[in-house]
Amino acid sequence: MPEVKTSEFTTASAAAMLDPQLRRALDRVGSGFDVARRNAIEEVTPEVWEEWREEARSIKIHTLDHLDYYLEMLHDNVTAAGGQVYFAKDSAEANAIVSHLARSRGVKVATKSKSMVSEELDLNPALESQGVEVYETDLGEYIIQLAGETPSHLVAPALHKSKEDVAELFAEKLGLPYDEDIERMAAAARVALRDKFMEADLGISGANFVVAETGTLVIVTNEGNGRLCTSAPRMHIGITGMEKVIPSMQDLATFLRLLPRSATGQRISSYVSMITGPRREDDEDGPEEFHLILVDNGRSRMLRDPKLREALYCIRCGACLNICPVYQRVGGHAYGWVYPGPIGAVVTPMLTGLKESKMLPQASSLCGACREACPVKINIPRMLLELRHRTAESEDAQERASSTSERFLARAYARLMSSPGKMALAARLGRLAQKLMPGMPKRRGWIGRTPLPLLRKWTQARDLPMLPSKSFREIWRDELKGDDSRGGSSGRS
Amino acid sequence: MAGADTGGIPGTSKAEFLRSVRDALGRTEGPPLHPYHRLQEDLPHLEAQAAELEARLLENRPQLLERFTDMAGKGGWNVHRVSGVEAAIGRVDSLVGELGAERVVRSGQPVFDDVPVDTALEWRGIEVTPIVRGESAGREQLREEMRHADVGLTGADYALAETGSLVILPRRGLSRLVSLVPPVHIALVRPEEVLESLHDLFLLRRLEYHRQGGEMGSYLNFITGPSRTADIEMTIVQGVHGPKAVHLVLIE
Repeated sequence: MPEVKTSEFTTASAAAMLDPQLRRALDRVGSGFDVARRNAIEEVTPEVWEEWREEARSIKIHTLDHLDYYLEMLHDNVTAAGGQVYFAKDSAEANAIVSHLARSRGVKVATKSKSMVSEELDLNPALESQGVEVYETDLGEYIIQLAGETPSHLVAPALHKSKEDVAELFAEKLGLPYDEDIERMAAAARVALRDKFMEADLGISGANFVVAETGTLVIVTNEGNGRLCTSAPRMHIGITGMEKVIPSMQDLATFLRLLPRSATGQRISSYVSMITGPRREDDEDGPEEFHLILVDNGRSRMLRDPKLREALYCIRCGACLNICPVYQRVGGHAYGWVYPGPIGAVVTPMLTGLKESKMLPQASSLCGACREACPVKINIPRMLLELRHRTAESEDAQERASSTSERFLARAYARLMSSPGKMALAARLGRLAQKLMPGMPKRRGWIGRTPLPLLRKWTQARDLPMLPSKSFREIWRDELKGDDSRGGSSGRS
Repeated sequence: MAGADTGGIPGTSKAEFLRSVRDALGRTEGPPLHPYHRLQEDLPHLEAQAAELEARLLENRPQLLERFTDMAGKGGWNVHRVSGVEAAIGRVDSLVGELGAERVVRSGQPVFDDVPVDTALEWRGIEVTPIVRGESAGREQLREEMRHADVGLTGADYALAETGSLVILPRRGLSRLVSLVPPVHIALVRPEEVLESLHDLFLLRRLEYHRQGGEMGSYLNFITGPSRTADIEMTIVQGVHGPKAVHLVLIE
């Protein structure tokens, strides 16, 4: 697995917010992807969109609830089509399987189309240590591979790079003259990678879906690199998380309608490739071997957890990133691991451990925009709350995200709120305190930064309303009780 | 632990892996209690649906062709509607001429038996390489032909009005690369190939799968417009790995 830097979220996000280039890049995501997504939904009508979402969700619920059954069906049908299926419980096993296949077939050059799972496995270094040259072929992935970086978005991995960055990178790594014309840079990548496609003995792809009924791997792309990777080399290895299986080919209609619209606002992507086994006798070309690796790598932990299972319904469209006010400010790298944004804040703690990634569930305003944007209606805010609850209540001090003083305050607050007498007393004390406290009212009616030790950190970025001269309970008691004419109907209770 | 059914290759055995999944779900082995409705459909059921589909397509053909033309244009195809074989050959000829192409690779799909384009192109002095089983001397030569071609010429197995896509299935005389590697792709489409929706397509493919006793064919490719990327500053560029320009000749 790649290095987990999720514990640095607080410092990394603070630094990211000060980066003007990242700011411009993230603005493009909102104005580009998310506007296009909304337009696409308007076109099909929100009512039809809702029906598709409901259907997709119900397919995912059914499949994940019977995952073992559909994995076995998938295995049988891939095998019947002449392919091989492997099961990997973790990244070490998955990488060992790919390495074994590469070594035993004498693979020297491998081309890869975009695969988030392979990022999660840190596959490239594993293959490179076997002496295999690995080329990422999605333009964005190619750029970040040359730069030695990691993806910052599920769909647009090199989002954080400016055209000047790419021009410098191409000049340095490919020996090309500096040229920041985007069209010419794309053409340069086409030329550089064309040779690799033809040279490669192995093509590696991820999968957007795998169909149990027919043993079919489905990839959705725009550049055509996925088609080249799965057509030109003599061996194709597909690697995917085990949750990507769907029962019937007919289910694809719904998912192919939802995924491109949610990701980029397209009605469909330029290419959808459905691959079932290796080339057949009558085919003119295509890989002679087809291998499919199904990866667990922590997913069964999510499966086991009824409150978090639905994170496995994710189809990796990136819509929740594009709309998230936190992702929009801090970008993908601040999240510190492979999956960024709201869904990353749920998936990462589950795959890497809550101890390491306990800050990620805090990185949300719980505004609910991600849930609304999600094409499979994943209730991300509820899961973030659940994870926050676990980080607050954990027996293990290292899993706790809050400081001792914060927990003390929360407990005191809980006690206060459950006792009317204590509450009234506290309000009186509070009113007295805010009169006596020097320099407290930063502006009228609000408390700005307080020097109080327990509240200092909390009020650094938040203002509190001042306590009013009378509490609601006092107003109720003195002025409203028994007065039904004011519209209340519960005055007697 | 290396499983017996992976032949000494590293990894977890199927039995062990599925057991751990079942364990996580708290489930006992076996099919779902309430079977998934789509997997309950047998051959007669699918055939009945397909018959309905054929009737519907026949009845709505003119509207379907309009919708397909509209959506294909929105999807990035240059759509050319022509009537008759002569006009189709003429349009392919003029497109190739306008491009200043010198080499064309052409698939061996049946549409070219009905619409023979080679002679007209060769008249222009264009080198046409049809992919004929047994005549291309193996993979390497086929690839070299693809790499040096200016235009790839194919037919289609289906076309989808819903998305403006072409769908291509494997067959003799059809390289996977012919619609992908040359910088321009020209495709011939006939009205009877046009379906309404993704649901139509998958119904017909599932029917075929069951008719063939569980054979799907090695691939099914959707093509909708040119190859494109927006990976640098979200600026759309066409032709990053696949064709930069795509033409669709609809023969009525």
